[in-house]
Amino acid sequence: MLALNSLSKTYPNGVHALARFTAEIQPGEIVAIIGGSGCGKSTLLRAIVGLDRASSGTVTLDDTPIVAPHPKIGIIFQEPRLLPWLSVADNIGFGLSDLPAATRRETVARALARVGLADKANAWPRELSGGQAQRVAIARALVPQPEVLLLDEPFSALDAFTRKDLQDHLLDLWADTRPTLILVTHDVDEAVVLADRVLVMRPRPGRLFEEIKVNLSRPRDRNSPLFGSFKHHVLTALDRSLDRGVPDRDVKAGVGGSMWW
Amino acid sequence: MTMTIELPVRDSADEATSPAPSGRLRRWARPALGLLLPVSLALAWELIVWLGLSSGRLVPPPTKVFATIADLARSGELMRHVTVTLTRVAAGFGHGVAVGTLFGAISGYWGLARRLIDPTVQALRAIPSIAWVPLFILWLGIFETSKVALIAVGVSFPVYLGVMGAILSVDRKIVEVGRIFRLSGPAMIRRILLPAVLPAYVVSLRVGLGLGWMFVVAAEFMGASEGLGYLLIDGQQLGKPTQIVAAIVIFAILGKATDWLLEIATAPWLRWQDAFATQGGPI
Repeated sequence: MLALNSLSKTYPNGVHALARFTAEIQPGEIVAIIGGSGCGKSTLLRAIVGLDRASSGTVTLDDTPIVAPHPKIGIIFQEPRLLPWLSVADNIGFGLSDLPAATRRETVARALARVGLADKANAWPRELSGGQAQRVAIARALVPQPEVLLLDEPFSALDAFTRKDLQDHLLDLWADTRPTLILVTHDVDEAVVLADRVLVMRPRPGRLFEEIKVNLSRPRDRNSPLFGSFKHHVLTALDRSLDRGVPDRDVKAGVGGSMWW
Repeated sequence: MTMTIELPVRDSADEATSPAPSGRLRRWARPALGLLLPVSLALAWELIVWLGLSSGRLVPPPTKVFATIADLARSGELMRHVTVTLTRVAAGFGHGVAVGTLFGAISGYWGLARRLIDPTVQALRAIPSIAWVPLFILWLGIFETSKVALIAVGVSFPVYLGVMGAILSVDRKIVEVGRIFRLSGPAMIRRILLPAVLPAYVVSLRVGLGLGWMFVVAAEFMGASEGLGYLLIDGQQLGKPTQIVAAIVIFAILGKATDWLLEIATAPWLRWQDAFATQGGPI
């Protein structure tokens, strides 16, 4: 279980990015974090993955404190961040350098086939489309078999069709090993289609505002009325989170999965 | 294969705007275009001298220059001078690159070191390198050491700047990928920093090599008895403009050839950058 315990972050320039963020995320759970800009979503992910340390509070994975990048926690960024001087296959195998070459090749080949890019093994990243490059990034993050995979607006730079395609693909890949997914997004559709639970954050300082459980079986029909009502609920929560007149709620009681509506 | 479909749009745009119908023609036509101007100027001058419109005494026509080069080559003089000059450039370039790379890497990698040494290096860089000549002769004597030192000084500054700048401009986002995969310090350098820095490093090497050729002339002006720079001085003192132009032509050929060799030698590591190499590359 991933436990975020009262995480706060104040940057050296005085920006109070995150305030006492607490959540518990179960193994295999998919959590979407959504909120207006400046609500500390990215700060939160960077603290969880161990790239930046929180000013106070702790991140623990199965009671192990996370203070630096950890082999069980992977991340996919908004940009694919492929290494341009490595072939697609070598990019995917980048985190597997401890494995013997033969095993690594095999794992990479399987991952390439799994994301549907087997014919691109020897291509340079420059030769890929945006969607293909992000697939490679997903494969690179998944081959070390992380228990927790963080996604920082992973599909926001893609066109609507590719985005939908990759959302479905991500769920498909997730079903293989069922890692915990924590997804930061601006896209309400994306949050509702992917997540078991949507955490709505409010900005300045970034903090948890509301938590919405999405009790929909998968695969989810984006056009069903129930899907629409969940979307509506998340949108309403987002609107309220940006309205300074609405006071913070005591969300602590809700952590763990109770429904708020 | 399918790869060609995925190539950046720029390539197809290139093809569309290029007037040449076939790839082979384009491959030869482009360099040939570059030769058009110098060759026609040379031919024109040859014609002017041949028609008697100019004596060609101070500006010798191409045939005379090539005759001089051929004479020098036959007597073995050419080989000797070229070898001496090439050796000096190689030694100076080697030392300059080593020093420039070392200090550039230190300045680029450690902020404290940069604050400590960079201002001094920049101040030294502001000194015209030729100004070192008298001092180097006093310190290192009139023979090879002072010449190599001068070339090395000239080469080291662009390399230093290139390496430092390249390291400073390495994309933080790519470095974070290395951190996510928990690369150790040496692994981070080997797997992220070196490949990221390489393109800019090669450019700085080529700039350094160009300066090396500049400074070898300056070095050979300060009392050499061999070398292409000596040929220049000798030609001036004995009033042989043909020999001067011949030496200049050889400088041009050697400079271009060494730059080309450097480019060829580093190309395999930069294949990922080049849009055209991948088309014919072993994929």
